[in-house]
Amino acid sequence: MAPLHEQDVVTVREIPDTRFAAIGWLVLALVVLGVAAWEWKMRSLGLLAGDLEDGKSAWAVERRKLESGEHDGVVLIGGSRILFDTDLDAWAEMTGKRPVQLAMPGMNGQPVLKDIAENSAFAGLVVMDVAPTQLFRPPGGGNPAFAGVLDYWRDEGPARRASHRLEILLSEAFAFLDQNYSTTALIDQLDLPNRGRIGGPYMFPWKLSEAGADRQHRLWREIETNERLREHAISVWMRMQGRPGPPEPVVAAICADIAASVAKIRARGGDVVFLRPPSAGAYRARENAMTPRATTWDRMLREAGAFGIHFEDYPAMRGLELPELSHLTREDATRFTRAYVGVLRERYVGLRPGAMLHPGA
Amino acid sequence: MVFNSLTFLVFFAVLLVLHHLPFLSWRAKKVNLLIASYVFYAAWNPPFILLLWASTIVDWFIARGIYAHRDSSRAVRRSWLVISVAVNIGFIAFFKYGEFLLQNWQALMQAFGITWVAPEWDIVLPVGISFYTFVTLSYTLDVYLGRSKPIASFLDYALFVTFFPHLVAGPIVRPTQLVPQFETPKQANRDQMLWGLGLIILGLFEKVVVADGGLSSASDTVFGAKAPVGFADAWLGTLAFSGQIFCDFAGYSTIAVGTALCLGFALPDNFRMPYAAIGFSDFWRRWHMSLSTWLRDYLYIPLGGNRGTEARTYRNLMITMLLGGLWHGANWTFVAWGGLHGLYLAAERWVRERSGVAGDPAGPWNRLALALLTYFLVNITWVFFRASDFGGASRVLAGMFGLAAGAEPVLPTIYMIKVAVIVTGILVVQWLMRNRTVEELVSRAPWWLTGAVAAVMLFAVIVAQGSGEAFIYFQF
Repeated sequence: MAPLHEQDVVTVREIPDTRFAAIGWLVLALVVLGVAAWEWKMRSLGLLAGDLEDGKSAWAVERRKLESGEHDGVVLIGGSRILFDTDLDAWAEMTGKRPVQLAMPGMNGQPVLKDIAENSAFAGLVVMDVAPTQLFRPPGGGNPAFAGVLDYWRDEGPARRASHRLEILLSEAFAFLDQNYSTTALIDQLDLPNRGRIGGPYMFPWKLSEAGADRQHRLWREIETNERLREHAISVWMRMQGRPGPPEPVVAAICADIAASVAKIRARGGDVVFLRPPSAGAYRARENAMTPRATTWDRMLREAGAFGIHFEDYPAMRGLELPELSHLTREDATRFTRAYVGVLRERYVGLRPGAMLHPGA
Repeated sequence: MVFNSLTFLVFFAVLLVLHHLPFLSWRAKKVNLLIASYVFYAAWNPPFILLLWASTIVDWFIARGIYAHRDSSRAVRRSWLVISVAVNIGFIAFFKYGEFLLQNWQALMQAFGITWVAPEWDIVLPVGISFYTFVTLSYTLDVYLGRSKPIASFLDYALFVTFFPHLVAGPIVRPTQLVPQFETPKQANRDQMLWGLGLIILGLFEKVVVADGGLSSASDTVFGAKAPVGFADAWLGTLAFSGQIFCDFAGYSTIAVGTALCLGFALPDNFRMPYAAIGFSDFWRRWHMSLSTWLRDYLYIPLGGNRGTEARTYRNLMITMLLGGLWHGANWTFVAWGGLHGLYLAAERWVRERSGVAGDPAGPWNRLALALLTYFLVNITWVFFRASDFGGASRVLAGMFGLAAGAEPVLPTIYMIKVAVIVTGILVVQWLMRNRTVEELVSRAPWWLTGAVAAVMLFAVIVAQGSGEAFIYFQF
C-alpha cells in the first residue's frame, strides 16, 4: 500500500541544479570584499579593534569573581560615571588592589548592592557611584542591554560563556564588531520626525565608551573630538533630565533599601562608600534641581550611616573636563581616580600599599 | 546552544571535520553525532540532559514492550502506552505547566470561596522539551498503532531522538523520515554541502536581519505598552509580530534543514509560504507543518477525525486546535489562539461543505482577496499568541478595531517604515513563491544572481551583528 503522507516515508531533499562551486567562490569573494570595506569604513568613524563589547556576559564574568574569590576585596558598582571615570590601573598602582568593575551604563547601583548584600559573602569594600537622577527614580527602566543581569550571571550556560570568549577574540581583530554600529543600530538612529512625544531610538544614548579587559571603560575618543556626537549626547542627557524629580516616598524607599544593604555588608566585616562623580554645566544644574543634595545624597548617607565622597567637597575633583557634561575625558578620569582613591586610602588602612588587612578595614 | 552564535559556528565546524574523517567507521561517526547532540543540548543548561536521557530510555523500552505484546490484548498494550504518555506528559506537566496548573487551581478554589495560595514555582523550563517529547511519543505511538516496528539499534534510536538540528525546535520528525537514513553511511557531497550552507545563510538572514533586526523592536514596543495603543500602532505592531514569528521560526527550521544537509541527512520542510495561504486548512498545510501533521495523526485522527457525525468532526477539530494552542505555552492566551484557529477551520469547513467549493476560488483577484482575508484573520490570532495576558491582547485588539480613541502614539517613525517595508516584502515574496520552492527558484536563476543574493544576505548577517537572541520557539 502506498504511504498516505510524506511523514510516512524517508525524507529526501531536492538539490537545485546550478553551478554551486562558482556560487561558492562568488559569495566568498563578495563577502570578503564587503567586510573589508565595512571594516575600513568603521575604522574611519573611530572604531578600534580591541574595543570589547560590554553586556551581560562581560558583567557576569566579573560578578562570578566575587563568588570564586578571584578578587582583591574591592568592588565598584553603579552607573556609567564610575565605570568611565575610574582608571583601574591607577587604583591598582595606588593600593595594590585591582577592583572588580560591576558598574553598568544606564543603570544604578542599588540592585547590585542588594544582590551583593543578600546573595554573596563578600566582606570587602564596595564603592557605589551616585548619579542622583539615575539612583533616585522609581523602579524599572534602565539599560535593556543589562536587563535581568542579576539572574543571568548565575544562569549563564556554557554556550553563552564560550560565545563571549569567542566574541572577545574577534573583537581584538575587527573594529566593526560593535553593537552601537550594527546596521540595525545605524538604521534605527536615523533622524526622522516622530509623532507626538515619541523620542525614538535617535534619542537613545549612542556609543559613549571604549572597553578593554576587566571592563575598563573610557570615554570614547570621538566624543572628545566629534562635535556632532558630543552634542547628541548632551541633548539626550538634557531630555532625560526634563522629567520631574522623584516623589518623597520613592526617595525614602531607596534610602531605606540602601541602608539595609549597607548594614548587612558591615555586619560581616565589609563596608560601603558612596561616590558622587562630577557632572557639569546645564546638566548638573538640572540634576541639582531635580535631586537636591540635601534631600537625596545627604539623606542617604545619614540613613545608611555611610561615608561619601562628593566631588564638590574636594578641590582635586573639581575643574575637570566633561566633554558631554556627564563623563570625564580619559586623562581626567585618571586624575579623578587618583583623587578619590587618595581619600579612600586615608580612611581605610587596608587600601594602603602592602597592607595585609582587608580593604574594608 | 543557539544556531545564531559563535559557539555553534565552532561546534559545527569541528563536527563537520569529524564527520568527514575518512578513517572513522559509520558507527563511530554516529556516536560522534550523538555525543555532539548531547553537547549541543547540555551547553544551554547541563542538568536538563538527564530529562532528555530519561525520555529517550523510557520510550525505548516501552516501544519494545508494546511490540513484544503485539499479540496480547489491547488493554495490555495500552497499559504500556499509558506509562510512556504519563512519563512524557508528566515531565511537561511539571516543568511547563506546573505553575499554570497551580494558579488555575488557586483561582478555582477562590471561585468556591476557599482561600488557598499556590506555592512559589521557580522552575526553569527545559529548552525544547515540548519538541523532543513529541518526537519520542510519535515513536511509541507508531509502534502502538502498528505503523512501525521498534528500531533495532539503540544508537540509531537515540540519534533519531537527539539529532541536534531538530532537537530543540523541530521540525518534529517521525521515525520513518529519519531513522532509515542512519542505517547506511551518509556524507554530503559538494553540492549538498554548499546547498546546506546556503540554507543556513538564508535561515540566519531571516532570524538575525529580518526578525531580530527589522521587526522585533516594533512588536516589543506595541505589545509592551501599558496604555491603550492607537489604530496604526496596533496594526503595525501586530504585522511586525506576524513577520517576526515567521522569520524567527522558519529561519530556525531552514538552518536546521541546512545543518542536517551538510552532514548528509534530509530533514522535512516546516514552512511553505504560509502567508500566501488561501483559507485556514491551506494555512495549516503551510505553517509549522511538522506540528500540524503530528496533531492530525496522533490526536485528530485517533479522536475520530471526520469519520463520525458532522458535530463530532467539529468537536475533534476544536479539541485538536485547543490542545495545539496549549502545547505552545502555559497560558490561556495560547488556548485562545488555538481556539480561534479551530473556529476558523470549522467555519471554513462549514462554508465549503455548504457551498460545494473544494479547491481555491477561480480568478487571481479572488484568490488574492481570500489570501489577504486569511492573513488578516491570522493576524487577529497573533495578538493572543504575542500578548502576555488578555489585558494586553484586548489593548492591542481595541486599537486594531479603532476602539482606542485618544491613544498616544508609541511607534517611532523608523520602526513604522521598517515594518511597512519588510512585511510588504514578505507578503509579496510569499505570494509570488506560493506554488514554488526555493530549490526551483535557484535552479532557474542565473548562478551569479544566486551568488550575489547569498553574498548580500551573509554580509547583512555579519554587519547586523546579532546578539545571539534565542529563537522564540525555544520557550515552547
